Amino acid sequence: MAKGKTFRVGADIGGTFTDIVLIGDDGSIATKKVSSTPADYGVAIAAGLAELLKETDVDPAAIEGVVHGTTVVTNAIIEQKGAKTALITTAGFRDVLELRRIRIPELYNFFYDKIPPLVRRQLRFEVDERMGPRGDVKTPLDVKSVEAVIERIREADIQAVAICLLHSYSNPEHERKIAEMVRAALPSSVFVTCSADVLPEIREYERTSTTVINAYVGPVVASYMSSLLGKLNAIGVGAPLRIMQSNGGVMGTDAVLEKPASIVESGPAAGVIGAATSAALGGYLNIITLDMGGTTAKASMVENGAVAKTSEYEVGAGINLSSQLTKGRGHALKLPVIDVSEIGAGGGSIIQVGRDGRLQVGPQSAGAEPGPACYDGGGEEPTLTDALVLLGYINPDYLVGGEMLLNADKSRQAMQRAVAEPLGKDLIEVAHGALVVAGATMMRAVKAVTTYRGRDPRDFALFAFGGNGPVVAAQVADQLQIKQVIVPPNPGLFSAFGLLFSKIEHEFARTLFRRAVEVDRREISDVYDQLEVQTLSAMKADGYQSREVTLVRQADLRYSGQAYELTVPVDGGPLGKTIVEDIVEAFGAEHQRTYGHRAEDDPVDLVNLRVVGSAPPRGPQNISPAAAIAGHGRAQARDKPTRMANFGAAHGQLETSVISRKDLLGRHQDGPLIIEEYDATIVVPPGWSSTLDEWGNVLMKSR
Amino acid sequence: MTEKIDPITFEVIKNALDAIADEMALVVMRSAHSAICRDSLDYSTAVCDDQGRMVAQGLMTALHMGSFPFAMRILTEQYQGQMNPGDLFITNDPYGGGGMHLPDIYVTQPIFFEGRVEGYATTLVHATDIGGITPGSTAVHATEIYQEGLRIPLVKFYDRGQVNDTILKVIEKNVRVPKKVLGDLRAQVAACHSANKQMCQMFEKYGVPKMRLYFEEMHDCAERVMRDEIRNLPDGSYRFTDFIDGFGEDPEPIPFRVKVTIKDDEVTVDWTGTSPQVKGAINAPGPFVYSATYLALRCMVRSDIPNAEGYMRPIKLVVPPGTIVNPSLPAAANARGVTGFRVMDTVLGALSKAVPERVPAAGEGGATNPSIGGMWKGEPFVFTEGILGGWGGRPDRDGVDGLANLAANQTNQPVEFVESDNPIEIVQYGLVNDSGGPGKFRGGMAIIREWRLLVDEAVFTMRSDRRSHLPYGVEGGKSGTPSWNILNPGPNQKILPVLPQESSVLKKGDSVRHIQPGAGGYGDPLMRDPQLVLEDVRDEKLGIDYVKREYGVVIDQEKLNVDEAATRRLRRRMAESKDRGQDPESHVRHFVRSLKLGRRYLPGSKTSPGKRSPKRTK
Repeated sequence: MAKGKTFRVGADIGGTFTDIVLIGDDGSIATKKVSSTPADYGVAIAAGLAELLKETDVDPAAIEGVVHGTTVVTNAIIEQKGAKTALITTAGFRDVLELRRIRIPELYNFFYDKIPPLVRRQLRFEVDERMGPRGDVKTPLDVKSVEAVIERIREADIQAVAICLLHSYSNPEHERKIAEMVRAALPSSVFVTCSADVLPEIREYERTSTTVINAYVGPVVASYMSSLLGKLNAIGVGAPLRIMQSNGGVMGTDAVLEKPASIVESGPAAGVIGAATSAALGGYLNIITLDMGGTTAKASMVENGAVAKTSEYEVGAGINLSSQLTKGRGHALKLPVIDVSEIGAGGGSIIQVGRDGRLQVGPQSAGAEPGPACYDGGGEEPTLTDALVLLGYINPDYLVGGEMLLNADKSRQAMQRAVAEPLGKDLIEVAHGALVVAGATMMRAVKAVTTYRGRDPRDFALFAFGGNGPVVAAQVADQLQIKQVIVPPNPGLFSAFGLLFSKIEHEFARTLFRRAVEVDRREISDVYDQLEVQTLSAMKADGYQSREVTLVRQADLRYSGQAYELTVPVDGGPLGKTIVEDIVEAFGAEHQRTYGHRAEDDPVDLVNLRVVGSAPPRGPQNISPAAAIAGHGRAQARDKPTRMANFGAAHGQLETSVISRKDLLGRHQDGPLIIEEYDATIVVPPGWSSTLDEWGNVLMKSR
Repeated sequence: MTEKIDPITFEVIKNALDAIADEMALVVMRSAHSAICRDSLDYSTAVCDDQGRMVAQGLMTALHMGSFPFAMRILTEQYQGQMNPGDLFITNDPYGGGGMHLPDIYVTQPIFFEGRVEGYATTLVHATDIGGITPGSTAVHATEIYQEGLRIPLVKFYDRGQVNDTILKVIEKNVRVPKKVLGDLRAQVAACHSANKQMCQMFEKYGVPKMRLYFEEMHDCAERVMRDEIRNLPDGSYRFTDFIDGFGEDPEPIPFRVKVTIKDDEVTVDWTGTSPQVKGAINAPGPFVYSATYLALRCMVRSDIPNAEGYMRPIKLVVPPGTIVNPSLPAAANARGVTGFRVMDTVLGALSKAVPERVPAAGEGGATNPSIGGMWKGEPFVFTEGILGGWGGRPDRDGVDGLANLAANQTNQPVEFVESDNPIEIVQYGLVNDSGGPGKFRGGMAIIREWRLLVDEAVFTMRSDRRSHLPYGVEGGKSGTPSWNILNPGPNQKILPVLPQESSVLKKGDSVRHIQPGAGGYGDPLMRDPQLVLEDVRDEKLGIDYVKREYGVVIDQEKLNVDEAATRRLRRRMAESKDRGQDPESHVRHFVRSLKLGRRYLPGSKTSPGKRSPKRTK
């Protein structure tokens, strides 16, 4: 029950549920899970929050801030429901967006199709101008050609305009001039965006695509936010609204409107940030997060308390496995994103036997409709959830605290027909096999964010959340030889908590592309100064004074000729005489760490300089264990203290205790054990032990 | 067999091996130094079992994949009993080392576990330069391998963890850009080390006997699936002939003749009748031809199949010695890529007669490789890249505009990087209007890329194809459009051959325009849905005159919609007339005519300002 004087709200939208968390300044917590309203997600947020306020008897005026994580932007891209957008490019390059990087993300498929570009060729226009790589004007901007393009844009009834010219990262003058002309000529409702403002970085396809995404979602985000603000106002909540960005920081609505593309992966980011913060409270600085829901599992890495980020990201292609090898399916989005690797293994993943006799789990999913066979909603195919029911892990009478009843007979029939019979194996054996195979698939997702970056997963603890994460965590950990698993309170609505822990964050970057040794210390200093001014002014707009803001400088470097940069930290304050050498040395060390080797004699290129400004959210940071447990404390009394569960060939069918989280307070209990709570089930297999830490996390250790 | 195969363990081990091979590929991608490697991704990785048989491959260049078995077989035979922990082997030798051509350098590490070789990690990277008569080492006009660069026999690159300095120095002194080449080699070594570490973890976890059992099952499983698939193809012999245009100003066509025989669950691909080896660098040593042939057949398989070499077992090849598909020393081979693409096109042409519902019309015919080299800022520079991108029309849908050839799954190089790293300006890069083959399902459009030299002088060579022998259409679809290389487009332009026999000298300000072939169409163009035709017109990909002539679709210029009555009349008239009202080459003749005008931009590749835009209806 929330008490306190002032409150903050976290609201996280998922495909199925909208989760709302209310936290008081004394650390007290109340939560609400309501069905999402895809036609207008704001409806569920406002209605859910109003109910929660009523239940807890909290005055809407006592709310100081609302933090929101949303999938609205991703959905607009996936469903191709963004604004009607035009693109203006340098003459001779209108097809850069459609040609992309040419590569195919799979090897032997003649029937592969590219995702259609967000701007079709008829709305991609060329203007006469040309910059050189150092920002030298080779052909001045032909204003007449711009006027002609504006005329065509006007005829086409366009809602957003993206402008991306070659080499604009080193000289934005032509882009700015065009933007000015477009703004002057078209109605103010038209969203206009320049690549030099969105992503002033080298690589024309990635920059064009990112700028186009920014334009394409701009009008959608604007109308979503104004509608949500209106709905919150209507229930008496006038507090500022902040939105989770893909990089894990939050920012105010005005900043979002300038760079709407920065909130594309708003949803998944919250969970990772929440995990990093909760784990750090308990002293765990190195974790791998595993967030498993109905259709996918997502993994990410937190090292020394810092969340791993990437700027090689794609959107619109469904699943995003964090690996360049499978890139090319979606639209490139080169803004900093938490490096989340996603794989098609969730509760709804369909289990089948391939033509070659192999047992496969996913990536096809039964989704929410018709859902797993046990949902009794017409689903005929066995899913991972059905396997978990048959194994005795999930209690058919206790999903979402018993609000949803499952039909185990349907699971049995489906698994028997589609898997056990074709393989000539026992029902339970194949159910466990499906769990192992799903674990192997998830292992690849984990590898994508760890070993692919030169990290050994065995040095990390696995932090599991999401509706299904805690059920399979030990299985995945075993396969990766990870010895420790952490399951936070409220694992099923954990992402909403994450929102409340997120820092206010703004990041700006600029390309300064040349041999590092040729760069002057003052040049670096000037760029950092400008970036810092920019960052502080953005932070100020979000209500934070300079003294509250932590500024971090970074530099992206590569060996001359490499395709990818590594990012290294750079000291703050006045730059020392050896700054260039220091940066180059830091890069060499990072290269050694990531790839196992460095090349002392090779020239190093400086590519980008970055500044990240952040400040902690206002309000309580620590949640007391009592509050944490109370927060999810809708656990009901169970009629049976044990049930039979299966743990594979090594252990077979075991009588397994079933307890709730608070039963674990102040004691250890060895597996086999099942911890059942309102929104998730934790499975502790034989060979694992469990206990509760002071923050309410379930800690599992492999013996 | 004492232990039974468990499908679950199988899946887990297969997943782990695939992940190791992918991770090797990522290590190379991120730490390699050459643009051709890191941007074009012209390299491959694989993990092999204790006998050197491939059990997993990185998601890389498909055309390389089938070549690993040859290199591995030679390594395991030649060095049996002479390998030590910490050894790595190197070779690029097509005549004796299992290589494909000199630029492709193999680096392989035997994986030791408990004192025995239990597997191999292997990598192949296309070096930016390996010496020889032209920068980039892909001179088409080389006539003997001795002109093509450094030939590295199969030797130890590392001996018990110590690098072989001799070989390193020999390489360093024989290539034009040693930093790039040695940087890439280091990336290959790092990739092998990463696989070595992870494979050892697997042996530790599962034990050697179990790993061997599952290696074997991977091959057997791949073979079973492949045989099963072949059994479902109609028995018979299917012949097809395709060509490479030939060398120089007055090219003599080079024929590729294949007979694909499907019998029960086996396929024999017989190349008898194919051209003798040629005096030019496009001879394709055996491993490459096997690889291209396997690839074509692999694409017929519709189910997921382990990437283990067992799938090759039911496929037999006949490659007569002394031919372009199995050359003998001293045949030159550095520009052999084009031959691999043609081998694949030819096999697919034959298969299209057996299973037209599974085979697309011909694609763009493979990568075009320009190479520009000279001096810049007092140092030698070598610029090479691969231009790819256009899929043929397919049995149930259009081809794709701007997508890598399936055989060479590489990326393009960002224009901004090319211009930053080289004294070269890219004048334009885009799709060419009114290109590609008409069909019920249209072929992918041609791509244009144009380079301008910004320093005083440089040497230019080029490997391209398909100017006279066009990408074929299937089931009544028309052929694609031809490829052109044009020096200084404009009134005084000069047409360069597809496979020049000498390099050209470029002077400051000179530009070379390359137009890739457009891909072939699938099915009768008169059967194409007029609405799809209209979409292409609206997208400014095809012109109104063009679609009237090629598709019999009449578009109202004012309203920009289909005049259905006029279209019906025109299509009926075209279908009834003796030659269907269609000249099979009409689209090609018009295309070539527009190229010869030598405009600054190709018609339509630029929306010229002030052009009267068609009125749109809402």
